[in-house]
Amino acid sequence: MRHHNATLKSMMPHLTRRAFAVLAALVVTALLSAPVAPASAQTTTIKVWLHDHPPRVAIDKAIVAEFEKANPDIKVQYDVIPVGEYGQKLLTAFASGSGPDVFMNSILLVSQYQSAKILAPVDFAGLGYADEKALTSQYLTGFDGIRFGGKLYGLPIEVSNWVCYANNAIWKEAGLDPDKDFPKTWEALPAVMEKLTKRDANGVPTRRGFDFLWPNRNMFWFVLSSMFHQQGKDMVDAQTGKMAFDTPAAARAVQYMVDYANKYRLGGPQYGDARSDFLGGRLGTECSFGLFGIPQMKTANLQYTIKPAPRFADAASDNGFDAYAFYMMVNARSTPANQKAAWKYARMYLDRSVELFEKAGLFVPRPEVLASPGYKSDPNIGLIVDELKKAKFAPSIPGYDQVLDILLKGRDQMVQGGQPAASVLPAINDEMNTALARARTRAGG
Amino acid sequence: MGGNAATQAAEAADAAAQPPSIVTRLFGGWPRRSERPPLDIRWWGLGFVLPVVMFFAVFSVFPVFFGFYLSLTDYDLLSPPLFVGLDNFRNLVSDKLFLTALVNTLIFVVGATVPVWAASLAAALLFDQVFRGRDVVKAIFFLPVLPPAVVIAVIWRLLLHPNGIATSTVGWFSGISEIPWLANTVLAPLAMIVVHDWAAIPFFMLIWLAGLAGIPQEARDAAAVDGAGALQRFWYIDLPLLRPTSLLVASLATINAFQSFVLQFVLSSDQGGPANSTLVLGLLVFKYGFQYFRMGDAAAVSVVMFAIIMSVTLLQLRLGRRVY
Repeated sequence: MRHHNATLKSMMPHLTRRAFAVLAALVVTALLSAPVAPASAQTTTIKVWLHDHPPRVAIDKAIVAEFEKANPDIKVQYDVIPVGEYGQKLLTAFASGSGPDVFMNSILLVSQYQSAKILAPVDFAGLGYADEKALTSQYLTGFDGIRFGGKLYGLPIEVSNWVCYANNAIWKEAGLDPDKDFPKTWEALPAVMEKLTKRDANGVPTRRGFDFLWPNRNMFWFVLSSMFHQQGKDMVDAQTGKMAFDTPAAARAVQYMVDYANKYRLGGPQYGDARSDFLGGRLGTECSFGLFGIPQMKTANLQYTIKPAPRFADAASDNGFDAYAFYMMVNARSTPANQKAAWKYARMYLDRSVELFEKAGLFVPRPEVLASPGYKSDPNIGLIVDELKKAKFAPSIPGYDQVLDILLKGRDQMVQGGQPAASVLPAINDEMNTALARARTRAGG
Repeated sequence: MGGNAATQAAEAADAAAQPPSIVTRLFGGWPRRSERPPLDIRWWGLGFVLPVVMFFAVFSVFPVFFGFYLSLTDYDLLSPPLFVGLDNFRNLVSDKLFLTALVNTLIFVVGATVPVWAASLAAALLFDQVFRGRDVVKAIFFLPVLPPAVVIAVIWRLLLHPNGIATSTVGWFSGISEIPWLANTVLAPLAMIVVHDWAAIPFFMLIWLAGLAGIPQEARDAAAVDGAGALQRFWYIDLPLLRPTSLLVASLATINAFQSFVLQFVLSSDQGGPANSTLVLGLLVFKYGFQYFRMGDAAAVSVVMFAIIMSVTLLQLRLGRRVY
């Protein structure tokens, strides 16, 4: 052992405990001080996080460059995050106290963030508008999904709504003309779609006329809410704030979709993605594309006709599908200086709405967009915007994903399990209200 | 008897000649002062292992304890955590979603361990034999292990389309042209098990093969000389000698099955559907934490998962210690 130690000693320089402690302290100090970059007291740096949309990124970079040139005292740290990672990354960033100053999110999640008091109310002066009216009058619609307690908490940067698209070739093959034969009501839809459907010897559809976008989690929320609105009702009661799935309006809307799958056997959750099938020529009609679908149809070399969404025959409201939006928001936990700079940046972003529409397909209904050559040159957009004007916004609630999962469980019990809506709906309504109440209580709302 | 005493004495002498192992040093007492290395050399040693220890402490030890702390809070990730004591654990007892996920997980674990254990052993016994083209067939059989779980799930999603290849295969015999493999509350959990087992069996087969390779041929030959048939040789020679391998396969398969997440996340409809029939605990942790903004509940479920996995593994290890 003694010999072994002597060998080691001869191989290593002599180091005392004190020398080692000094060395370790130096290393730790160096490590701790390395990330701290000297910042000028005059410069404000804002973090901007947007999810990836390749056609928009180049415009974003130009906006950042222009903004920094116009505001030499503000630096922009711009990050593009892949769509699939965006929600989690945003969540963990806020959890660790390093959330961005400017960020975007879907209408379906803004309520959660607003409840957690992360969203700063819109600073109209910071944006360069006299008041709320001066801002909102610049838009046909878009702010209903971001208004909480009478205050606005964000700016619409993409407003969208679904309409129906008919595959002209499939309709023609069935001896139908979309312009004449497209059903105006939900009640008339199954008979027309049956004509477009091809079945095998067992009656299984080998080509569907129309199907809902079942694999999309949010579809059920949007379509059901639209059907509630057509009946003059709200899926989330405006007075009580509770889910209204124990009402006749819910029973009618849900039963329609259950019957479409089980009684008429025209589609259902077991089939593939309706959008892909439509683009692949395996589905005659698709009703979950907005403006964003047109480039995809052109790429697929598909001849189509755009039609408004069906309504209930006795509809109390002439709306098609609900509208939805992505919003640009400012972090309420940022310093006042950062918030001020953030709203300034948001204003510059809004002012590029024509370019964002024409080059990146991000539509906001502002006068300059409606007057742009890109808008006027597309004959289809008029119908979509007409539908948008009539549309109401899908409700945004805290705890959305949990409430939606309960709704989807109920859907599965009815569509796949064959359980009657009369027993399933009251049960899931109670479950949804419990989840909603918990989310609101936790959020302090 | 005398022979045994002599052997024990020889083993004791051997042990005395060996330097004390780390286990002895940790649990059998600190070495005498005269045996310890000089102080400066020990500091060097500490310096070399410190980065790894710190890395392990920050990224492994701290999250475990922080996760346990979070399980005692109500935390939505967006607001500061509120300490609620054991409320999250109490609530789990009456949480229908947790109970559903627990039952689903147990069913999945049974389906993903017992058949895997048996089928991988059978495959290993097959490939332990010498036959023409064995290596090629073995390589093909091993292929499902290579792609990531996400890729496997996506491929099977296509195969299990209601009008896809799986349906066509069944339809060849039955005439059925549509089977909702992933949209039926009975078929969907079964599909998860089948896909999991398809990918897991070849992996565990390799472990069994390694175990079989360690069995001395002399033992089998001696049994054959004594008149033991193939089945008897397997039962009385191979299987007892494969006990450590068997334990390893059972433990790993159980732990993997309990932690299953990717398959259910990608392959099932609506991440755990239809009607929560494929919702397992791993998926529930994700949903609670990152979709429902209930990180406290997610952490509580994780702690329960940890306790279950640890208990089952300890039980398996204890059973495996039995000597016939």
